[in-house]
Amino acid sequence: MAELHVIGQIVGASGFPQNSLFCKWGVHTGGAWRLLSGLKEGQTQVDVPQTGDMAFWSHPIDLHYATKGIQGWPKVHLQVWHQDSFGRCQLFGYGYCHVPSSPGHHRVRCVTWRPLGSWQEQLAQTFVGGGAQLRSPELVYSGADRYRLHTEAMGTVELELGVIMRHFDKYGVES
Amino acid sequence: MADSWNTDTGEAVYRSWDAVKNLRVKVRIERVTSSAVLSQHLKQEVLSQQDRGSIELESLTLQCQTGDNEEELELGWQEKLFSEYEMELFKNKAACLTPLDQQYHGEVKALRRAKGRQNQRLFTHTDHDRYTSCLPLHQMQNSSDILTTTKSGPTSLAERMATIRHRWQNRRTKDSSIPKSKIINWEPSEEFVKNSHVVSKAMQTMHIMGDLGPPGRLGHKENEYLLCTIKTDGSGTVVIKPDFNKGREPYRIVTEGEKREVWRLTVENISTAMKPEEKEWEQNTYKNMYVRHKDYLNSLVGQDFEMLPLGILHYFMNGEIVSAQGFEYDNLYINFFMELPNNWSSLPSQSLSRVTQTCQTKTQGKENVAFFSHPFSFEAFYVSEKESEKTVPQWPVLYFKVLSLDSWKRHRTEGCGYVLFPAIPGNHKVTCHTWRPLQMGKVSALRRFFIGGSPELEDHSYVRIPGTFKGERLSRIGFPTETTGSVTFNLNCIQQATSFVDAALSKESRQKGFCQLGECCQQRAVSTILEAFHRARRKMQAARESFHKELNNTTSQLQRSTMKKSRQGSNYNLPFPSNPTLTIL
Repeated sequence: MAELHVIGQIVGASGFPQNSLFCKWGVHTGGAWRLLSGLKEGQTQVDVPQTGDMAFWSHPIDLHYATKGIQGWPKVHLQVWHQDSFGRCQLFGYGYCHVPSSPGHHRVRCVTWRPLGSWQEQLAQTFVGGGAQLRSPELVYSGADRYRLHTEAMGTVELELGVIMRHFDKYGVES
Repeated sequence: MADSWNTDTGEAVYRSWDAVKNLRVKVRIERVTSSAVLSQHLKQEVLSQQDRGSIELESLTLQCQTGDNEEELELGWQEKLFSEYEMELFKNKAACLTPLDQQYHGEVKALRRAKGRQNQRLFTHTDHDRYTSCLPLHQMQNSSDILTTTKSGPTSLAERMATIRHRWQNRRTKDSSIPKSKIINWEPSEEFVKNSHVVSKAMQTMHIMGDLGPPGRLGHKENEYLLCTIKTDGSGTVVIKPDFNKGREPYRIVTEGEKREVWRLTVENISTAMKPEEKEWEQNTYKNMYVRHKDYLNSLVGQDFEMLPLGILHYFMNGEIVSAQGFEYDNLYINFFMELPNNWSSLPSQSLSRVTQTCQTKTQGKENVAFFSHPFSFEAFYVSEKESEKTVPQWPVLYFKVLSLDSWKRHRTEGCGYVLFPAIPGNHKVTCHTWRPLQMGKVSALRRFFIGGSPELEDHSYVRIPGTFKGERLSRIGFPTETTGSVTFNLNCIQQATSFVDAALSKESRQKGFCQLGECCQQRAVSTILEAFHRARRKMQAARESFHKELNNTTSQLQRSTMKKSRQGSNYNLPFPSNPTLTIL
């Protein structure tokens, strides 16, 4: 089996309409992968930037995987939420990116979108917040059923991931 | 006399692998008094002149007993020795408030009963004592102030650092679970602020103290002096202040008060050194432990990995359509499909075409951007043909079409493009510019504006080289297009082939991993033969084992049946071959 370390952090997010943000994240892998150590999902704190647009979380990611095959390479999925001054949470975006497959340090920019409802819902959203959410987040992973969605472009989440690979070359994997 | 003092009272840091409980320190104090000097001097005189002045001498020597003027003690780490003051304090049970006090009360009582206290002047404050945290640690420094001004107040930081409780603080929980409550201390106490705003390590402290009062007047708090401080943390750091003397001159301690007596202090390290065989044994245990841990990790990871037969390249692509920018209309979606050239195949379950969601754009800079963040995985196999070994293979192509959909359900073609899958494994960020076919004339433009729809390509591969094309020169003359926006892809490519293993092992420099696919045939031939040999051997062993088992079964059955039949117990051995040799191919 080959081993993969993913060490890094979720740096922050920018480009969202409001900036009191937090992020739920998780790493999804295929069946051949086994998590040896580390946490594969989590949630950041709420960050309110004082200056500028970008909310910084600096949330750590440290994962160690062992795998029997390259199918189901780890993918990071993100949900960015906004918390307003009354403590209400509102979904701001779903994001999705693969863990880079080459060793080294990577700065990954993951763009996000959020589902759009009907025009009545959109109107309600502008005044009272809230809004549509995905019923099953599986849609974010697979992407096969996505054509049914109508979405809106939101902000960008920035990640810094360091990838360390072991024994992949032993099995003839070039990445 | 005045020259032979050690003035370096700074702290020394030692690091040790050993447990701190093995630390032993020898402390010796000696009073330097005029009478002592005189008596010494006189003693020498007495030695030289035996007869004269015996009366005066006697009175002098009686006055200053040697037992009171010097004391030597061996101490272990956190060994509690009571002072005269503490003996008095813990004597009555009413003064004991904490469980520790009560424990001391018991110990003091036992000591009194035993009538023996090995220490007179020297005593210790251990880590849990109530004085340890509030002792001013600057006592030793007072005698050797750097500044000439007598009233040099410590800086605010020094003040804060001085009152740190070097005790069980900042003990972090080692497991990764974050305490759900109390992450933030909303009302930090003064002590909390002190501890968290300045550097403080979790250290255990022990003070060696001396009661340097005049003889016969021991047990007064104001005569207690700090002689030596020893601090340790959990990771083998030992900080001692002042340092061990190690053969240098003793330290000088001047008492306060009108008498201003001078004492000599000597601190020595008398911890027993480790024997060489013990050292070796310990090293071996560590080594074994590491080896075992490594084995455990290896067993956790395992050895098996999916491999492919020789001559097949496994191409794996983890890609995302990141964004589309600069298109004319809003609400974009992308329709894309992969084309596999000759010699390529993919799994039948895999869909080679996808449609993204419809995304409303937002303005970023000067452009309208639609974010898709649409993941796709693509897996394909390339089988190298023996004849066309040297030719560079064709790579799969991703064709895509950007469309827009408005609120009246009108679709418009926004752009076409293609991405050639990268031949080099790794991470690639590809931005692809697109165009759309344009029909000349106003009618077409009006039609596009009002009812949507626009000329579309009948054959998508026309974007690149049409599939039906056969010729020498690809010409598109007379085909008007309009530049539209661009689409950004993020592609992670992985290639796997058995021949890469050999290449990686022999550390050959390879420009393109692909060229080697069919070349290492000779190496492969040897290894395949070896592999076949191993396989045959394994089969043979398995067969032999199963044969043994069967034999055992049959013999036991036979034995049982014979036992039942003939109760005489004449069990006979069947003439089985002891080591059957089988040849299995």
